[in-house]
Amino acid sequence: MAESPPVTAIRNARIVTVGGPVIAKGTVVIHSGLIEAVGENVAIPAGAWVIDGEGMTVYPGLIDALSTVGIPGAAPAATAGRGGGRGQTATPATTTTAAATQPAAPRAMGPEDRPQTTSWLLAADEISPSDHRIETVRSGGITTTATYPTRGIFAGQGSLLDLITAEKAGEMVVVPSLGQYISVTRAAGFGGFGSGFPGALMGYIAYIRQIYLDADHYKLVKDAYAKDPRGLERPQYDRALEGVLESKRILLPANRVIEMDRMLRLAADLKQPVILYGMREAYRPEAAPLLKKFARPVLVSLKWAEAPRDPDPEADQTLRSLSNIDQGPAAPAALQKAGVPFAFYTDGIDAPRDLVRAVKKAIDAGLAREDALRAFTLSPAEIYGVADRLGSIEKGKIANLVLTKGDIFDSNTHIETVFVDGKPYKPVAEAPPGGRGQTTEEPGEIR
Amino acid sequence: MRKLLFIALAALAPVAAETIVIENATIMTVTKGTLKGSVVIRDGKIAEVGEKVMVPQGATIIDAGGQYLIPGIIDCHSHIAVDGGVNEGSVSVSSMVDIKDVIDPEDVSIYRALAGGVTTANILHGSANAIGGKTVVLKMRWGKDAQGMIFEGALPGIKFALGENPKRAGNPPGGRGANATPVFARYPATRMGVEDVIREAFNQAKAYKAEWDAYDASAARGEHAIPPRKDLKLEALKEVLEGKRYVHAHCYRSDEILMLLRVADDYGFKIRTLQHVLEGYKVAPEILAHGAGASTFSDWWAYKIEAIDAIPYNAALMQKKGIVVSLNSDDAELMRHLNTEAAKAMKYGGVSENDALAMVTINPAKQLGIDQRVGSIEVGKDADLVIYDKHPLSDYAKVQKVLIDGTVYFDRDKAVSAAKAAAAEKQKLLDKIKQSQPRQQPARRPNG
Amino acid sequence: MKKIGLLFSLAAGLWLGGMVAWAAADAPVLIRGVDVYPVTGPAIKGVSVLLENGKIADIGAKVAAPKGARIVDGKGLCVYPGLIDSATQLGLSEIEAIRESVDTGELGEFMPQLRALAAVNPGSEHFPVVRVNGVTTAMTFPAGGGGGGRGAAARQVISGQAALIHTDGWTWEQMAVLPSAAVAVQFPSLGGRGGRGGNPDFAELLGEAGAAGTYAQTLRTYQEDLAKLTDFFDQARRYQKAKAASAPGLVRDLKYEALIPVFEGKTPLAISVSTPKTIHDAIAFADKQNVKVVLLQPREIGSAAAELKAKNIPVILGKVLALPHGEDDPYDQAFTLPLECYKAGVKFAFGTFENEFVRDLPYQAATAVAFGLPREEALKAITINPAEIWGVSDQAGSIEKGKLADLVVTTGDILEIQTQVKHVFIKGQDVDLTNKQTRLYEKYLARP
Repeated sequence: MAESPPVTAIRNARIVTVGGPVIAKGTVVIHSGLIEAVGENVAIPAGAWVIDGEGMTVYPGLIDALSTVGIPGAAPAATAGRGGGRGQTATPATTTTAAATQPAAPRAMGPEDRPQTTSWLLAADEISPSDHRIETVRSGGITTTATYPTRGIFAGQGSLLDLITAEKAGEMVVVPSLGQYISVTRAAGFGGFGSGFPGALMGYIAYIRQIYLDADHYKLVKDAYAKDPRGLERPQYDRALEGVLESKRILLPANRVIEMDRMLRLAADLKQPVILYGMREAYRPEAAPLLKKFARPVLVSLKWAEAPRDPDPEADQTLRSLSNIDQGPAAPAALQKAGVPFAFYTDGIDAPRDLVRAVKKAIDAGLAREDALRAFTLSPAEIYGVADRLGSIEKGKIANLVLTKGDIFDSNTHIETVFVDGKPYKPVAEAPPGGRGQTTEEPGEIR
Repeated sequence: MRKLLFIALAALAPVAAETIVIENATIMTVTKGTLKGSVVIRDGKIAEVGEKVMVPQGATIIDAGGQYLIPGIIDCHSHIAVDGGVNEGSVSVSSMVDIKDVIDPEDVSIYRALAGGVTTANILHGSANAIGGKTVVLKMRWGKDAQGMIFEGALPGIKFALGENPKRAGNPPGGRGANATPVFARYPATRMGVEDVIREAFNQAKAYKAEWDAYDASAARGEHAIPPRKDLKLEALKEVLEGKRYVHAHCYRSDEILMLLRVADDYGFKIRTLQHVLEGYKVAPEILAHGAGASTFSDWWAYKIEAIDAIPYNAALMQKKGIVVSLNSDDAELMRHLNTEAAKAMKYGGVSENDALAMVTINPAKQLGIDQRVGSIEVGKDADLVIYDKHPLSDYAKVQKVLIDGTVYFDRDKAVSAAKAAAAEKQKLLDKIKQSQPRQQPARRPNG
Repeated sequence: MKKIGLLFSLAAGLWLGGMVAWAAADAPVLIRGVDVYPVTGPAIKGVSVLLENGKIADIGAKVAAPKGARIVDGKGLCVYPGLIDSATQLGLSEIEAIRESVDTGELGEFMPQLRALAAVNPGSEHFPVVRVNGVTTAMTFPAGGGGGGRGAAARQVISGQAALIHTDGWTWEQMAVLPSAAVAVQFPSLGGRGGRGGNPDFAELLGEAGAAGTYAQTLRTYQEDLAKLTDFFDQARRYQKAKAASAPGLVRDLKYEALIPVFEGKTPLAISVSTPKTIHDAIAFADKQNVKVVLLQPREIGSAAAELKAKNIPVILGKVLALPHGEDDPYDQAFTLPLECYKAGVKFAFGTFENEFVRDLPYQAATAVAFGLPREEALKAITINPAEIWGVSDQAGSIEKGKLADLVVTTGDILEIQTQVKHVFIKGQDVDLTNKQTRLYEKYLARP
């Protein structure tokens, strides 16, 4: 199946280019993994493998803007700090998994011990092409993932991957370094006494601040030494700081509006370009103006807040959480309206059916279909600075395409073929429809 | 709750920078006596106080006939509005962390404190470690964002803690016996160790300061040296040594109080306030000589062994000895009735009405170095005011209105109707969500 | 304070281990010219009250002083019945944080045979402290009165027999008003759900929700617990019948034996509840068992109000000065609960549920007044109502001829914080108003 013919052409198809107008009936020519031509009247080269796209639609491949696909054993969800709210909330699944699989690190007694830091890790170096999730999510039309290591505070740097079935991980990598994934969690009990520094949220933030102070100083010392080592003490090598200095942007978690405010200010203090992820409360009227003021793009989790099944009738459900359930999916529409650049991320929703359902919720809550598509294609490409090669159906771009019968975000749509780097893939059989158990695993559970 | 308060705030949001006159109130200024009269507020400040005032044209009139007006209550010790834990308890010195980084302006405790007449609060790190995190003074401007809560210009502080709490982590349950499961015990485990931790931290801070002073001097001479590494932990202590950051020290017993005063003397810094300071009455002359303020509970005692000699006369006794005394809450509930906590100082120890009120207004303002701005009803000060229906030192009194910077942030009548509206809104949402939910599917566990 | 000091010096020579024994301990006392607030009737101004043989012998304008009577000048003073706190751990718990000093919360699930009274320490420092504010009588509970004690106690279902005690006496026998005033039951709880302050924001818990268990599971556990409780009662009934029938070979069972007074209607069950559902279920349980019941510390009564009134089931309300249960609940939820009960016609009394707050009992009641409860109802809820609820209204709870001379002489309204208590009489004895705290005050006031 993944044997790629030299030239492929899809003709008579409706082409949703995203970058330009929709072509009601046209042809896309794929050559050497790239889009060679697209248009209404495009000549099909001799010898091309021709697919009759009559009654079908071609979309750009979907880009999951924050994912762990490709890193086996990673928690399925790139959690946006479940530590968002109040009350005793669990440690994000990521750290739980880490604790279960890695030997216990010595107890950190302060920032100098570089707790929970693997900033030097590059997702590209951690990829396993045999991760079965690659095929699962690709079957839902995702051709590209911004895959990040997510364990720890400075977890490491994400890489942009094309989800081909590859022999070597390196074949998948579109961009090796996207930025540094930073997560924060919250304190339990007496301030993380058991697990070392940091324990409280303010400890996490202090640590992040100290790391950047240290990185600045480190660079100063290193540069001075490189310029003229004579008479200077030899600077120590610190891979944690190397990793931080290498990262061109940072990803910070923010679900509540107050977290957006907090993290945007933190990033400004650190003088780092930031992408916020989470955005559960982005539907609130204060959110968009705030995000606009700081002019930073955001990644919106598609894992909407849901009503608990079988709730205690006498339990207090806060207005805040009820609003999140009711209004959460309206966040993308609000961001769109305000002109805040945003992209979707699946937040561990791997099953295609569940993914469509999640996007549909945003559409039902007021997001135009084309804007939903953009948030899954061209917008993430722009946010990561790769719109010159991904995100739309345009001549010269990478041939990541989804061929469907029906609208890509309709639940009864059938995905015919997914092209990644021009290679055609048939979707695997749909997993049985599931409730939440399908997509949202228990924390710490390893597949 | 946000929605609720949106409703509440929207309903009473006054025009910005308007002129307000509160009329016919019994005005307890705290610093300038008590009178029956009016207060004129302009641009968020108190413009005039008098028995008779000129009512400016177009002014909004609040008739406080038969009611009492006092300065906004100031709580010198609170942990509300903090997100993600109030203790960075993993280390004995956590001066690198800052409450300012984790302000939660949506904590409903802010609104509740406001409803209890509190307009300003000193938000402290917890007491899990000998030297805790950096602190911040907030105004209870409910509805504003984190930055909008911060009391502009108030000197930030740092929390210290002595006694049982900071040594608790050194004595984990089952941690010290020979047969116990080994668990991590964090130094210190005794009051001796607490002193050692503080001395050692200031040892380091002095060296750090010397390093920076040398660098600053060389930079001033135009030399291009590489600056020393900035260490957030020591930076905060350097600020203490430079008098740029107040020390608020949690303490109970007289021995530890005296210890800290002497350590501070030795290292050349000041303790701004002793917090709780339940045995402060035993070492009042020493506290007075050092110049520390005392911020205490009215009548808490016996909840732990170091509170066994706590007496409700503590505030009165320290005040009689000349110490600036405030009464604090340390508790989101107690915070809502600090006025009656003040009344307890009258009951226990015979403090005068005005002095009692001062313990929750001008005295904490002095302790926080914000007495030029708040703490009394005086011309030129912030219009942070509370209207009570009855004498504020009576436990029959309840707060009717609270103003901060001349803006009404709490109005009892509107709060009551807003609460009803919010309840209705909530029920509507509950019904809507219930309806939109798919019928109950049989619970299914994922395989594997 | 000066007055207390004077009294102290008068008594100094006779002071024995914290307890004053007047020379003529049994001598009659005549309080002259005092304003009497009997609670059960209108105030009688400027009369005399005669205390003789531990009882109120006479009240009237012209009461002659018997021979040898001590005269107390009551001019300008008020006299109230001694206050009753309906839920404490007085005598059972000294320092909350030190388990060794705490005798609430025994091991074992069904322990009706445990007697709080026999573990009451008459030397507890709490007694002289709470007496100073007029609390002469208290229910002391074997499991913290309310929602379970600490540690092991959290598993208790029946925690033992609560006692109604005086706050003065040489021994617990002397202190006892009712040795077994109620059998305390911790009604099964609906898990961690909905407990005060422990509400997870479920939207944040998505993904973890499965681990917390569904409501159906919680309900099942609840019903199982309830079935166990019922089963225990059924067994005790069978035992009671067997005993009545003098069944041969019946082995005496202390646990079942302890429930017989409950079955006979002599002793009520004091059941801790939380929500309207648990209130309803607890009433249903009591109905089915045909026993008297008093409900403790509901956090709301809501839809259960009508049932409580219809069945005339009294309720002991917890601290009035408490935070609202949920984030969105009205800020004054706890302040207005007494009013809600009053409006619904539900009989209630106040309990403070923690020793440190017993002395604040009158102020808790006053807060309910501030938020709408008629003052006389608040006063009843700490005097005659508890006397009726616990079945001692023939002896206590009001100032009436023939009742126990448990009286409080004050400078004014007993609910007001600023009011000073001048005398406390328990069974006609003028009890010592000094305590450790007043002594420390005097001592350190004199420190140079």
